[in-house]
Amino acid sequence: MALRSISRRFGSRVLSYRSSSLASLHSHATSFGFQQVKEEEKSKLVGNVFTNVASSYDIMNDVMSGGLHRLWKERLVGKLSPFAGMKHLDVAGGTGDVAFRIFDAVNSVKRRALRKVDEDSLEETQIYVCDINPNMLNVGKQRAAERGLGDNKSLVWVEGDAEALSFDDNSMDGYTIAFGIRNVTHIEKALAEAYRVLKRGGRFLCLELSHVDIPVFKDVYDLYSFKVIPNLGELIAGDRESYQYLVESVRRFPPQEKFATMIADAGFEKVEYENLVGGVVAIHSAIKL
Amino acid sequence: MYRTAARRLLGAGFTTSRLLRLPKPRPTTTIIPYSYCTSSMESPIGNQSVNPNQSDPTAAREEGHRRDESRKPRAEFQEEQARVLAASLRHVPRLGWTEEAMIAGSREVGVSPSIVGSFSRKEAALVEYFMDECLQLLIDRVDSGLDLQNLIPSERVSKLVRIRLEMQIPYMSKWPQALSIQAHPVNVPTSFKQRAMLVDEIWHTVGDGASDLDWYVKRTVLGGVYSATEIYMLTDDSPAEYRDTWAFLDDRVKDAFDLKKSIQEAKYFAQDIGAGVGKSFQGLMNGVMQTMSTRGGRSSAF
Repeated sequence: MALRSISRRFGSRVLSYRSSSLASLHSHATSFGFQQVKEEEKSKLVGNVFTNVASSYDIMNDVMSGGLHRLWKERLVGKLSPFAGMKHLDVAGGTGDVAFRIFDAVNSVKRRALRKVDEDSLEETQIYVCDINPNMLNVGKQRAAERGLGDNKSLVWVEGDAEALSFDDNSMDGYTIAFGIRNVTHIEKALAEAYRVLKRGGRFLCLELSHVDIPVFKDVYDLYSFKVIPNLGELIAGDRESYQYLVESVRRFPPQEKFATMIADAGFEKVEYENLVGGVVAIHSAIKL
Repeated sequence: MYRTAARRLLGAGFTTSRLLRLPKPRPTTTIIPYSYCTSSMESPIGNQSVNPNQSDPTAAREEGHRRDESRKPRAEFQEEQARVLAASLRHVPRLGWTEEAMIAGSREVGVSPSIVGSFSRKEAALVEYFMDECLQLLIDRVDSGLDLQNLIPSERVSKLVRIRLEMQIPYMSKWPQALSIQAHPVNVPTSFKQRAMLVDEIWHTVGDGASDLDWYVKRTVLGGVYSATEIYMLTDDSPAEYRDTWAFLDDRVKDAFDLKKSIQEAKYFAQDIGAGVGKSFQGLMNGVMQTMSTRGGRSSAF
């Protein structure tokens, strides 16, 4: 599958969305895939899903996306343009994929060679990986140890909730959330928290499975999602329900434009999104000013 | 034509991003948060954007509390970008036209260096900002009474090009890098447009009234002279502040004007020949028409 990207800024349809967005937000908070659940329960149900999938999360990602998820994450980190001395927060980044890439980008040999000595850049880069699920974090810590980064002070693993972060206001240069915002009960709270912890000029980047509109491809994608993926889940991870939840939750998540409006409502500026693989995945980016 | 376009574009301070917004009419392309309605910046297209305060009272009331929080003026992205780039220019002689310079600039302004990641074609953004600024400075110099009256056209052109090139002197050590950035295929459309505007502005100031093929020829030739001088300047070590460069410039401009004269002469020559050939062709056609009409007249007499 070729990687196609369409970058668009979108028209201000805030008004028409305001009345329908409240309804859809409520529906996101009470939907667990295609099932209806109580708001209080959603968090627990999602927690169960990830406890179950944690150990085979990475393998399943590779199988489901044909290895493409790596390219998507590279693109995300490329867009972020990490710099030395950065304070970055990766939310729902349990197994550390994005965090490791950022770490590598900042510490690559090429970068170090080109770095001019500046008082400010002598500050240590700090990458915080926050996840609500301790099992996912453990997998991440293990992978860090395997790479020899077990004791590295730059990577900090924190257990926390995206809707109620334990970080200070205006403390982060960057905030990323890759394939995580879909699982949050109250999206607008997560966005508000993102806005709160970012410094002025800080960037918000969200990589998420999104909606496909292209006629024939949409049907192929639906077929793949509902027929192939749950079977793969059963075969490889021994857990059909979790992967059923996954594909259903993708359909329930707001489409690109609506999500972009929500980001703007949280106070962000220069909200843009880029579709990858025709909309299967979208990267939304914004700046806090 | 270009000058008013230049004014309109540069008035807001940044050419490239404005160019993205130019094809109108089109609905607003950037989302402007509801709480940020009083825009202090001029925005020609943005007027049709949201003004939810009036039209959606219930929603506005609900989120009214957030409006109170945002009493501090929210800077628009373009403004911030311009501020960061302006501050970055000070670091260019030391750090080059690079992300490092922009990161240093953003720190000066008090904004997180992450914002640099969002500039399109990062280093090119800095170079293009500089080119826009220089053009604006040139226009300002001209408007604030530059004395061109006593000079013949070729000398006027020389003077204007010299003023413009002198603005690059502080960055001369890193200018080759800027040129290579401008030459990247991705950046060529914008850099070409900026140079075209510059050349147009210079001709406009010199007092150019041509509107035919001449218009293109003049701008192309001046573009060539400007680029040649710019490159010559890169390796000029002459003692008195680039004296050799200015001599080179004067010579090239004179050549260009001579070339113009020769082209003009060649055109007149071609016209004369054309007229001669045309007359004989016309005579032939007239003869043919007459013959046909008389023959036709005879046949209709029946």
